[in-house]
Amino acid sequence: MKAFEWASPTTINDAVKLLQASAATHDPDDAPRPIAGGQDLLTTMKDYLTRPERVVNLKNIRGLDRIEGDGKRGLKIGALVTLTQLAEHATVRSDFPGLAEAALSVATPQIRNLGTVGGNLCQRPRCWYFRLEDAVCLKKGGSQCFAATGENKYNAIFGGGPSYIVHPSDLAPMLVALGASLAVTGADGARTIALDKFFTLPSEGSIRRENVLHNDEIITEIRVPASPVAARSSYLKFKERESLDFAMSAVAAALELNADKTIKQARIVLGGVAPIPWRVPQAESFLVGKRLDASTLNEAAHLALDGAKPLAKNAYKIPLTQALVRRALAKFQA
Amino acid sequence: MQQQPPKKKKIKVPKVVNGQETMVEIEVDDTGGPVWGPNNGHTLLNHRLTRVDGLVKVSGAARYTYDVHLPGMLYGRVLRAPHAHARVKKVDLSAALKVPGVKAAVEGLQDVRYAGTPVAAVAATTPELAEDGIRAIVVQYEVLPHVVRAEDAIKPDAPKVFDEGNVQAANSRGDKEKVAAALAKCAAVVEAEYRTPIVHHSCLETHGNVVDYRGGDAATVYASTQWTFSIPGDAAQELGLKQSAVTAIVEHMGGGFGSKFGIGVEGALACKLSKQASAPVKLMLTRHDEFLIPVNRSGSWQKLTGGATKDGKLVAVEATQYRLGGNDEGSQAGQPYIYTATDFYREVSSIHTNEAGSGAMRAPGHPQASFAMESLMDELAYKLNLDPLEFRKINLKDPAYHRQLERGAREIDWSRRNTTPGGGAGPVKRGLGCGVGVWGGGGSPQCKVDVTIGRDGAVTVACGTQDLGTGTRTYTRAIVAEELGLQIADVHEQIGNSKLGASNPSGGSTTAASLAPAVKDAAYSARMMFAEKVAPLLGVKPEEVTFAGSKVSGGGKSLSWSQACAALPATGLTAHGEWKVNLADKGVHGAAFAEVEVDTETGHVRPVKIVHVQDVGLPLNRLAIESQINGGMIQAMGMALWEGRVMDAALGLMCNPSFEDYKIPGSLEMPELVPLIDDGDTREAVIGVGEPPIIPTVGAIANAVFNACGVRVRELPITPDKILMGLWKGGQTA
Repeated sequence: MKAFEWASPTTINDAVKLLQASAATHDPDDAPRPIAGGQDLLTTMKDYLTRPERVVNLKNIRGLDRIEGDGKRGLKIGALVTLTQLAEHATVRSDFPGLAEAALSVATPQIRNLGTVGGNLCQRPRCWYFRLEDAVCLKKGGSQCFAATGENKYNAIFGGGPSYIVHPSDLAPMLVALGASLAVTGADGARTIALDKFFTLPSEGSIRRENVLHNDEIITEIRVPASPVAARSSYLKFKERESLDFAMSAVAAALELNADKTIKQARIVLGGVAPIPWRVPQAESFLVGKRLDASTLNEAAHLALDGAKPLAKNAYKIPLTQALVRRALAKFQA
Repeated sequence: MQQQPPKKKKIKVPKVVNGQETMVEIEVDDTGGPVWGPNNGHTLLNHRLTRVDGLVKVSGAARYTYDVHLPGMLYGRVLRAPHAHARVKKVDLSAALKVPGVKAAVEGLQDVRYAGTPVAAVAATTPELAEDGIRAIVVQYEVLPHVVRAEDAIKPDAPKVFDEGNVQAANSRGDKEKVAAALAKCAAVVEAEYRTPIVHHSCLETHGNVVDYRGGDAATVYASTQWTFSIPGDAAQELGLKQSAVTAIVEHMGGGFGSKFGIGVEGALACKLSKQASAPVKLMLTRHDEFLIPVNRSGSWQKLTGGATKDGKLVAVEATQYRLGGNDEGSQAGQPYIYTATDFYREVSSIHTNEAGSGAMRAPGHPQASFAMESLMDELAYKLNLDPLEFRKINLKDPAYHRQLERGAREIDWSRRNTTPGGGAGPVKRGLGCGVGVWGGGGSPQCKVDVTIGRDGAVTVACGTQDLGTGTRTYTRAIVAEELGLQIADVHEQIGNSKLGASNPSGGSTTAASLAPAVKDAAYSARMMFAEKVAPLLGVKPEEVTFAGSKVSGGGKSLSWSQACAALPATGLTAHGEWKVNLADKGVHGAAFAEVEVDTETGHVRPVKIVHVQDVGLPLNRLAIESQINGGMIQAMGMALWEGRVMDAALGLMCNPSFEDYKIPGSLEMPELVPLIDDGDTREAVIGVGEPPIIPTVGAIANAVFNACGVRVRELPITPDKILMGLWKGGQTA
């Protein structure tokens, strides 16, 4: 990896100052980067995909590694909370079960022990063209998305163009389903961003980024509101290989039921199929007032994949994701 | 009395060149000497022996080449060409040499025929600085058109990988017209195309060496290699030294599977860097390098037509077999593989593409051929409405196959298979499949072994051979310990050093069958020599001395091992051993059964249970052989279900050169593995068993997938997308 300056501030404000790019930096991937668990950043640095002039360690900033709250008050998750902490937290498991499932589905125990919640949301794409140093794709300042007409088995069926990456985060679809927001701090002070406004399609915003976070901003906290859907939340991830893999497709679902077991409200967000967590409002609104019988599951699954635009090698994601939608909802039948 | 010259006899033995096995005729002494005796008569051999290097390996104490760290050592990195086809016009190393910490920089290959070709290398004080160093090198290429898909490469206007063209006819056999006539009369005919992608060895220790040459007239090379003795010559040539001046050291090595013979291009570059810097250079390939630069298992594209009579006799097979070996010829066993058809015709050729050359990989050419043939057999059986197992038995004469198929069928409970593929309620279906394989695995006279017994009682067995993780260290000790009536811990082995006695390359499953007889011979001679020395102390004739229970006995008297050794001269005794024809054999069979679960809604295939039955002659160490069989089953599972190189046709780049995207099975993929040694084989001779267990499992899994869900996937790996698209198309995939 390219030699870099190491900074280890103890306050958020100092960290933000250290993230200011020097005037000489023209490419966003040369700008200073914050490091927490480093599980994604280091891989991009080792492959020279990012070449930060300075790496700003966030681990010495106190108070960002705590989980507070519960199902009644909502959750405040510090950005430095590890995936293992989240997956094993008793209150998260009981009051926000889908969130614990999503955290547990990530990678391997070693990576979950180091990887943080903030870092998980800011992962760069796994598209193999992006990860190949020799393939200068759109996301790296090139002029072409090689996946569009190339080996696109793992790429997007929704929201693609001009880039066809899928967002790699497992937490993101579940947190979007739970209505989470992010507290971020930058040079201009703090702001709050609703998570469903955080991620950007390649056709919106900068093609070089996957979200609206500025280079000199850091996520400090993830806020998950108390919600009647939280207790019935579930994350179902399909991996081609069980031992260490990203989602070929995933479904984050959360439901609120009426006393008569009909559905009061539903949230369904798809992972592994689009450049952002992909919410499917047509399926959500269809479910309102319905009971979770087989025909409802089938119709919801059908509606969830309505409008999918598969590439040459990923049409299988349609039946696969439909099955996951059915199964995620079927968990709540009992 | 005048000694008779030993009688000679001619035998055929395997010769391994770059891991590829061919048979050659040699003349050997036809004399008496040691015999193994009945397979059930051993005290250590044919038992389950814990590997002697297990503790150092699991504790991290074992020193692999990757672990070698020498004072002043530099780290080498290679610069990979980003083009699939190009000529290097100019390499400017000057900027690299200005990178702080970079101590040497050299040019590499100039003919770029695959993306990843090493065109230069640097050595620096840290691996990170070496990475910066290679990126500072400026290379001017003349970029040429490339082709990476076989379908494209056979087109007349395709870019030429070699001037001679992309298709190279290898051989053809049989009578095409007879086959056509026979097919016309068959009750069932299946015509299908089977494909297997390029598969990678995925050695956990990447290729590489530590070259320690600081000037002067001698050098040491620590090598991750399958042949200790292939290193000194290769390195000497690069360093400008005499072969005898280079010592190769191979203490432990982390996987080869056929890919590690000779010093390789990375070793040659390490020598150049070490020579330039006058410092030791460690150049281990990165994982990305590892997928691109060394050899791989060639892909295959096989167009088969098979025909059988209504009572299940395979009467006609026609095969067009393409070996997809990148810029090498590739390998593929000839069809109809282990089966015989009354009439067959096959045409074998190689299609070249702009990819790294293929090489030997665990049973070169066999899993590819076996997958296609076992799939074809299965398709014929279903078409004839015959039990696929019975159909195979009808077409296999050798009783060993019948014995193994019956044993495997009992273990997996073949009666549970779906009579209708895809039958049964619910979305998750189970199915069973089987396959059959063959291998040689003989030995040859190449190993020189010394067994030394010290006056202090220490026993050492020495040979320059390498242990690939297959258990060489363990059985060399066990053979000597058993011969001398000792325990394994009483014997120490010295291996992995080119200054020790010669040994053969570990290819073609020939190591044990070549080495074990020489070890036995040396141990036997040591026992005879020791008996001569001890007999007077016991007051018996040498032939009346027995060695058992760490005691040397005779005439009702007994000496402890140390008492007996005290009778030796100060230098102890050393006996030399050579290969003996009667102690080794060749030719094994194998049968595999797989049970899988297929989720027909997600396309997920879960291997549930795999059984492999394997004959091995004399099992030197049952535990090690079971491990070998397990490893073969796991590697076959990888090939069947997850692994395969993906190339981008336009860029000519490999898309998945990492363990994230090139998916080898992990712990969560493991089914119940049942390795069974076929003791119905009573040959009292050692036969290699490294390769055969990978062969039949690939086809067995593919057939189990079909039995489970009714989808016949003819192109490996059998991934969820293919299953789902197959179900969508009603059971067939391309």
